[in-house]
Parts: sequence; C-alpha cells; structure tokens
Amino acid sequence: MTDAAIVTETLTRRFGALTAVDGVDLRVAAGQFFGFLGPNGAGKSTTIKMLTGLLAPTDGRVTLLGVDFAAHPVEVKRQIGVVPEGMGLFERLTGAEYLQFVGRMYGLDLPTTRRRSEELLEFMQLAERPKTMIADYSHGMQKKLALAAAVIHGPRILFLDEPFEGVDALAAGALKSLLGRMTERGVTIFLTSHVLEIVERLCSHVAIINKGRLVAQGSLEELRAGIPGEEGTHKTLEEIFLSIVEHDGGERPQLEELSWLT
Amino acid sequence: MADVILEHGPQSVSLANQIRLVAGLRWRLLRNKMRQRNNVMDMIGMAFAGILGAALVFGLSFAFFAGSQAFISRGRASWMALLFWGIFVWWQVFPFFVAGFGANFEFRTLLRFPLGRRAFYLIGLAYGLADFSSLAAVCWLAAMTIGVAVAQPGLLPAMLLVCGIFVLLNVTLERLIGSWLERVLARRRTREIFFALFVLAMLSLQLLNPLLQRYGNTAIPLFSRWAPYLAPLPGSLAGAAIADFAKNSPVDAFAAIAGLFMYVVIFSAMLWLRFAAQYRGEELSETLAATPRAAVRQPITGVTPDGLRFLSPAVAEVVRKEFHYLLRNGFSFILLILPPFMILMFTMQTSSRHHGVSVIGASRSAFFPGMMGYLILVLMSPAYNCFAYEGRGVQTYFMAPVRFREVFLGKNLMMAAVLAVEIALSMFVFSLRVGLPDAPIVVATLVAIVFTAVGQFAIANWSSLSFPRKLNFGQMRGQRQSGMAVLVAFGAQIMLGGISALLFFAGRWTGNPWLPTEAFVLLAAAAIGGYVASLDPLSNYAERKKEELMEALCR
Repeated sequence: MTDAAIVTETLTRRFGALTAVDGVDLRVAAGQFFGFLGPNGAGKSTTIKMLTGLLAPTDGRVTLLGVDFAAHPVEVKRQIGVVPEGMGLFERLTGAEYLQFVGRMYGLDLPTTRRRSEELLEFMQLAERPKTMIADYSHGMQKKLALAAAVIHGPRILFLDEPFEGVDALAAGALKSLLGRMTERGVTIFLTSHVLEIVERLCSHVAIINKGRLVAQGSLEELRAGIPGEEGTHKTLEEIFLSIVEHDGGERPQLEELSWLT
Repeated sequence: MADVILEHGPQSVSLANQIRLVAGLRWRLLRNKMRQRNNVMDMIGMAFAGILGAALVFGLSFAFFAGSQAFISRGRASWMALLFWGIFVWWQVFPFFVAGFGANFEFRTLLRFPLGRRAFYLIGLAYGLADFSSLAAVCWLAAMTIGVAVAQPGLLPAMLLVCGIFVLLNVTLERLIGSWLERVLARRRTREIFFALFVLAMLSLQLLNPLLQRYGNTAIPLFSRWAPYLAPLPGSLAGAAIADFAKNSPVDAFAAIAGLFMYVVIFSAMLWLRFAAQYRGEELSETLAATPRAAVRQPITGVTPDGLRFLSPAVAEVVRKEFHYLLRNGFSFILLILPPFMILMFTMQTSSRHHGVSVIGASRSAFFPGMMGYLILVLMSPAYNCFAYEGRGVQTYFMAPVRFREVFLGKNLMMAAVLAVEIALSMFVFSLRVGLPDAPIVVATLVAIVFTAVGQFAIANWSSLSFPRKLNFGQMRGQRQSGMAVLVAFGAQIMLGGISALLFFAGRWTGNPWLPTEAFVLLAAAAIGGYVASLDPLSNYAERKKEELMEALCR
C-alpha cells in the first residue's frame, strides 16, 4: 500500500532486561490525525523517539512516506517535524534565532526562513519580546516555540509528544486550528497526549500501547465497536481507553487503599 | 469565616520536632546522593574535602587558642579584636563564596509545610548554624574561650557572654546576606553577572603580587590611619569588651557589649523582614508570562545580508549559534579575556621590553612559543566536551536532516575563529610588553598553532562524543568535565606540545632557523588531511553514540 505515511514492523526497543517497546506494528495512513495513547511508562515516548530518529530500535523497521528510515535518515528527516519530549530547544537563543537555526538546518533559504519565523512567532504570540532568550520563556511559551520549530519547514508528517501540556486555552485553540489546517493540506499528524478529550476531538484514528505492546489500533468507531456494553450508548475515548487497558491487565488505583479517607 | 476543624486532621508539630525533621531531611538528602552509583568520585572528593576541612578547623583552633592565651597573659587584651575580626570575616565571606557554587537545598521549600512565621525564622537561624563555616567559627570561638580561661580564669564568664552574642550576631548577619543573595541569584542574569564578577575577582588576585611590590610599604601606615574608624564595628566591639573586662573597666565593657547587642537587634529585625517577605510568598521566578498581542514589539526581520553565505546553511547556522552561545556564556566570555590578561601578567612579573630577557632566564624566542602553547592549552580545553552547554538542544542536531560532520565543522570553525582572534590579541600584548622574537620563530609558532589546533580538533570531537558531560550556564557547583575527557585532552596536548617542542629544539641544535617552520608546514598539512578524513567516521560514530549523548545532556 503506498498511501501509508508511517509503517512500523515489529518495532522493538530493549533497555537491558527491560523491553520498553515490544514488536509494535503500526500503520498510519497519509493525512490522518493519529492519536497514540497509553498509561505512564507504556512506551509512547520511546516509540516516538524511534519514529523520529532520536533512538535506534533494537529490532524492527520504520518506514516513513515509503522510505526506510534506517537506510535514508537525512531524506526522511527532511520530510518530518518533531516536538520531542523535553522540546529540544537551545535555551540560550532567542525564539527568532532558534527558528532561523531550525529553518536553515532544514534547508530553507534565509529570506523564507525569516519570513516564516516572523509569521510563526506572531501566530504563537511570541513576537513581543524578540530579544528574550528561550531560557527566560515560561513552559507554555517554550512549548509553542517547539511547535513553531516543528512546522517551519512545512513537514509532511508531524510527530508531537504531549503538544498541549502547559499551553493555555487560548494558545491551545490556535494550535488546534493550525493542526487542523495542516491535516486538510494532507499532513499526517502523530500525537501523544494524556488529555483524552483533546485526542477524541482531534484524532480520527487511535492506537493504544500498554506495557510496550500495541493493544488496539483503528478508527474511534472501530475501537468503540470492539468494547462490550449496551448497544446504542456512546462511549467516550476515556471509557474505551480504560476498558482496553484494564482488559490488558492494567490496574486502576482503588480509593479503598487509602484507609484514612474511607 | 469559621475555622475548619478536622476530626482526625493534622496536629500541630512542636518547634523542636520541626527542627529535628529538617535536620533529618538534610541528612537523607546527603545519604541518597551518596547512594547514587555514579557519585563515587564525589564521595572521594568529599572525603578529601572533609580531611582538609578538619585539618583547617583544628589547626586554626590551636592558633586561636594560642593567640588568645598569649594576648591576655601578656597584657595585650586589646589585640583580641584581631581574632574576632578574623572570625567575623570568615563567617560572612566564606558562605558568600560557597553560594556561588549553588545551593544544596532550598530553605524556602519548607514554606509549603504548615510552619508558623516564628518557627520559620528560628529554623532559618538553626539552619545557618549547621553550615561548615559556622561550625568552624564556633570551634574557633570555643578555642579562644579556653585560651582566655587558661590565661585569666576570671574572664571566662565575660568571654562566654561576648562569644554568645557574637555567635548570634554572625548567624543572623550571615542568614541576612544569604537570603538577599538567594534572591539575587534566583535570576539567571544576576547569577551570571555574579559568576563573572567572582571569576574576575579570582583573576584579580594575580594583581596582588605586583601591587604589593609597588605599594606594600605604604599599606601599613594607611591601615593604622584607618583602624580607629573600625572601632564601632562588631569585631572591634567584641575585642574591646574583653579588653575592658581585663582592665577592670566594666562600664566600658558593658557599653561595648551593648553595641554588639544593638547590631544583633538591627540585623534580627532586618532578617525578620526578609523572612517575612519569603513567608508571604515572595516571587523569585524569572520566567515570563505570555504577553498580550497588543504589546509594542520590535521588528525581527531585517535586510541584513548573510555574512556566512560562503558556508553551507547548516554549518553557517551552527557557527552563528556557537557565536550567540559564546557571547551569552559568562564562563566562556571570561575564557576569552583570560589569554591576553595572562600574557600581561606573565610579562609584568617576569620581563620587560627594556630587559628583553626575562627574570626566569628564558629568551624571547623560547618565551614566545611557550606562551602561545600555554594559550592553546587553555583555549582548546572546552573543545574536548563541546556539547557541554547544549542541554536538550542537542536533540535538534539529531532531528534535523544533516550529517553530524556539519555540526562538527560549524563548532570547529567557530573555535578556530576564536583562537585566531585570541592569538592575534595576545601577540599584540606580547609585542607591546616584550617585543616579538625573530621572524623564523614567529612564523614557526603560527604554523605550529595550526598543527596543534587542527590536530586536536579531531581528537576533541571524538572525546566530546565519547565522554559528554552536561555543564550549566552561570553555575560553578558540580561543574566538572568528565575525568576521561580531561585525560584525553591532557594526553593529546602533551603529545602535540612535545612534538612541537622537539621541533623547536631541533631548529636550535641544527642552527637552521627555518627548519621548524618547514616541519610544521608538513605536519599542519597532515593534521588538516587527518581532520577532514575524520569527519565522516565521526558522523557515523555520533549516530552510534547519540543515545548516550542525549542521556548525558538532556537530564
């Protein structure tokens, strides 16, 4: 199939005795807004790092836009944008300097880089203090800048690790519309988030990882259909998620364990 | 609003218990730090520091004992002020230097717990007494008390009273300075200015020798003239109180004690106000809130041409980024002023333009390459851990569609430019102070610099990937290079410096002044070839080492 933007085959990563990601087979179609969910420590960030070249798989294969990542890393990286865990910013640059750095590293010419940088800073409401270093930005401002850096070169796939964490409601709205516009233009978005309401609203397709293994994958309707319950009742993504993870052996904390609160 | 009473809610904790809990917390923090596997070197370092610290405290305790006993028994009780001044300066200045190396545990974090303001204040004072500087000072005061008691037992109650007030005064003042320092150092910019001033102050100590040589004779009369003005200050007051008791002048003695006590009251009031501000939740954060869109802003685009267009875009951007980092890193910036400063210092202390030949007996033709070699040694050392200040930004290099050779090229080009500027500046200072040696030596030295610098780049790049260690801007505490990186740097510099020295000596032995230049040209060409050939293997090596690199830098 040629329209798959992201394909992984038995993607595995071990850290000593711990298998953080265990034989994950993912398939994300081009232009999809894809949510990648899982409990803490399930292997989401490790997977996203392997998909973006920040971590080498122990086993398995990653193919992005039909190109083998391991064989052609530079060509693949040119087509993707990433907001990694920790954001990966050079904190001693200003926002404009960092965007210029990233734009030029991705091969944009200087006038284009500067124009896009100015527009993105304006859109993200970061343009007011052009001489402020990133080290002096708040967490939310750093997150917005990381997002601006991820899209400045016009990627065909966007990998976002917790993009809405620490971003205010106003900025989150703007980001959602930006991401919506990008999917309309055929960009594939691969997103991890703990805020299931956002994922439910934005994503058409979802995969759930638990203890390193992929336990569910498909459209929201497909996942809903696979959950037992009364016919006709509308299940939220949170209910789907909890049902699948608990079915896979995940345990929900019980309030009864707190003796002093009973 | 009525108070809410919880049936099984938390009970109030006594002040003694709170102090005990804080002491326990400090101990657990230290113990857990020691349990970390990679802190073996820290433990060894702490053991050495502990032995040295104990030797300092006990050695000086004996000196304070002997000094106070001698002053009292020989009827020079007024000299006791000197000892009190020594302790006062130590108590107030030593923690100031320690603060530069960063705080171990933020006292303010206790504010999240239900502490009363009085408890917060008293715990703050108790916390101040637990510092090394305070404990050492208390030991020395105890030694002085014993010395005075041995010389004149009747002075013991007076000494105990004066020492008690002196301890309270010093703890209060130290905490007052500490809390202001904490406020100042909480901001990145002031922290870096402080750091830069600190390093400059350390460098300025080098000026002491020439200053003493020039003005040493006039310093003592100057001090005698100013000494009476110190009389109302704490060290002098404490000394005067003991001296007055020794002279059987209790009225004067109690006046001096009252003066000391007044200081305690003033400092306590000021510290109470500082702690009260902290208690109310004083904001020390330096991050920005999002600014409204309507704010006036400066244009960020310009029509400035790309001055680095002769480089590939990726290399040019790495050079630019390195340049910005250099200007915004106080430590690197000071490293830049160090070489010409060192040349100035060495030439001031060892030679002059008129003498031509130095005091240490080295001729200009040996001194010049030696000085340049020393500069290379100083300036090249950061290259062996060149990702130290990248932090999480290092991820960008691996996310971007570039080969790592371009990152190294950019970093090495920037370093080469810095070297060129520094060498030019240093040569200028050298020529002004001593005069340049003959042309063959100057040319050979310059080509030798190319050989040793380029030769080191390849090794330094490998070292940066193999032994990365994160360093933080504007911080001194815990800022150590990896031991292996230091060893590699040392080995490479010994090897390349040794080869260079041999070639210079060969020129002298054979009587051919241009022989070193010819040899260095060949070696420099080989070094450049080796460097270019190393870039691709190092790119592959970076790919293999990326996880370790990111783990070390993204903490």
